[in-house]
Amino acid sequence: MATGSPRAKAVVWIAVLLCIVFIGIQFIRPAIENPPVTAEIQAPPAVKQILRSSCYNCHSDETKLPWYDQVAPAYWLAERDVEKGRMALNFSEIGELSAAQQKGLLFEAINQIQLGVMPLPAYRAIHPGSAVTPEQLEILRAYLHPPAPKQAAPQAQVQAADAQYEAWQHAANAIPAVQPEPNGIAFIPDYKNWRVISSTDRFDNHTMREILGNEIAIKAIAEHRINPWPDGTVFAKVAWAQQPDAQGISHTGAFVQVELMIRDQKKYAATKGWGWGRWRGADLKPYGRDASFAHECVDCHKPVRKNDYVYTAPLAGQGTGGQQ
Amino acid sequence: MRAPMKCTGLLCAGLLVIAAGCSGANSRVATHINQEAALTGNLPYNPLAWKVITSWIDEQNGTMSTLFGNDAAVQYARNNSGHDYPSGAVLAAVTWSQQEDPRWFGAGIPSSPKSVEFVSVIKGADQKPSWSYEKYEGSPLKESSKAEASVPGDRAAWLLAQRAAVMP
Ligand code: HEC
Repeated sequence: MATGSPRAKAVVWIAVLLCIVFIGIQFIRPAIENPPVTAEIQAPPAVKQILRSSCYNCHSDETKLPWYDQVAPAYWLAERDVEKGRMALNFSEIGELSAAQQKGLLFEAINQIQLGVMPLPAYRAIHPGSAVTPEQLEILRAYLHPPAPKQAAPQAQVQAADAQYEAWQHAANAIPAVQPEPNGIAFIPDYKNWRVISSTDRFDNHTMREILGNEIAIKAIAEHRINPWPDGTVFAKVAWAQQPDAQGISHTGAFVQVELMIRDQKKYAATKGWGWGRWRGADLKPYGRDASFAHECVDCHKPVRKNDYVYTAPLAGQGTGGQQ
Repeated sequence: MRAPMKCTGLLCAGLLVIAAGCSGANSRVATHINQEAALTGNLPYNPLAWKVITSWIDEQNGTMSTLFGNDAAVQYARNNSGHDYPSGAVLAAVTWSQQEDPRWFGAGIPSSPKSVEFVSVIKGADQKPSWSYEKYEGSPLKESSKAEASVPGDRAAWLLAQRAAVMP
């Protein structure tokens, strides 16, 4: 280790240069501003406290970055996360939504925590104490669960569902003229004849769903080839409003929407190998305004990307035995 | 010489970030088939091979049911608002106990099956219909009751009265 050797000199010079660059970049600082809080989420103090310590840095107008986030390039990453985070969900602004809407957002928040997506894993790793502990998660869950007991559906809702049913029966077997989604995905009217792969009771948004699969999907389940699902797989998720009767049993009320996921690794490479479509209302109006709507679908399915972007765990046993 | 140390520190932090981003397997996401909800036992038909007519949720009992039908039943239910199913029509109501959806807080999904009920419509030469009702319970599912009559019993009548879910 003779000092003064050309090699050691070069190392020192490189270190000095790096440090100059490092100091220089500290002056490139897009500002993170904390505008006044207009409408903070309304929730019990224990719930708010958890959100404050784990989420507010990116999802509120009360961002308080620790010193090591103030140093570029870490600062740049933080700045981007705060900007994108506030855009996705801002706990300082959602207080003006209805109580039900605020709870809806909390359901989503808890899902992001449970699936390990939030706080962002990288942030969790370098910010001690930012991860939501199991005890804290229980506090959040207990706030939303159990849901309020169901009341019989109001008469107006029942009448609207009845009218929709009558119109549907009247039009029986007529294939409706349905527009494709703006990303080119066409509606598949035969979805209703596919087999059931599961059902869900979405008490968070008062809907109930049947998830159906085409023949390729059913074969894939029978052969346990469901990650990745084979090309040609199509799922349809059909949603209805929950319509509780006087005994508290929730029936399928008004049809809400049908959604398709179509597997073609090549054709839909830009949207994770799935073609996404959603048609709403009995007149099956395409959901997207332009082709970019599919990114919304992908974002929502991202927490289950390790399961090929699919939420449903299919029931076993559709494949055995046919008609009669 | 503190600045270079800071550089190394940052580098380490960066590596940590990358490592954290790549790991983090979540057991809720792990790929699996819902075997728990499989219909075990000897059923006369496999309802899961049929088409769906409608479904309902009984929150108090923590169950969710799907009503399936063979082709004759589905064809009738989707095109008629009455309850006069044709001869040969078979309805199958599968009732599962419900479990929390591990992948979506705010949703319930099928857990183990509680019962499977079949209602069959048979019309004799005189066109007089008769109904049979069979119920399977337990694990594996075993026949727990069976009735045949010229008038459907209360439960069979309730199942026959469930109208098809709107599927445009
Ligand atoms: C380090 C910053 C950061 C922290 C801390 C953080 N988030 Fe996020 N969050 C983001 C970013 C960035 C997005 C936008 C994701 C995107 O655009 O892909 C986001 C998106 C979300 C979304 C919307 C998801 C979607 O796709 O619509 C929810 C819900 C959410 N976060 C909940 C939380 C909760 C709950 C916490 C605390 C437990 C939390 N986040 C902590 C940065 C953060």
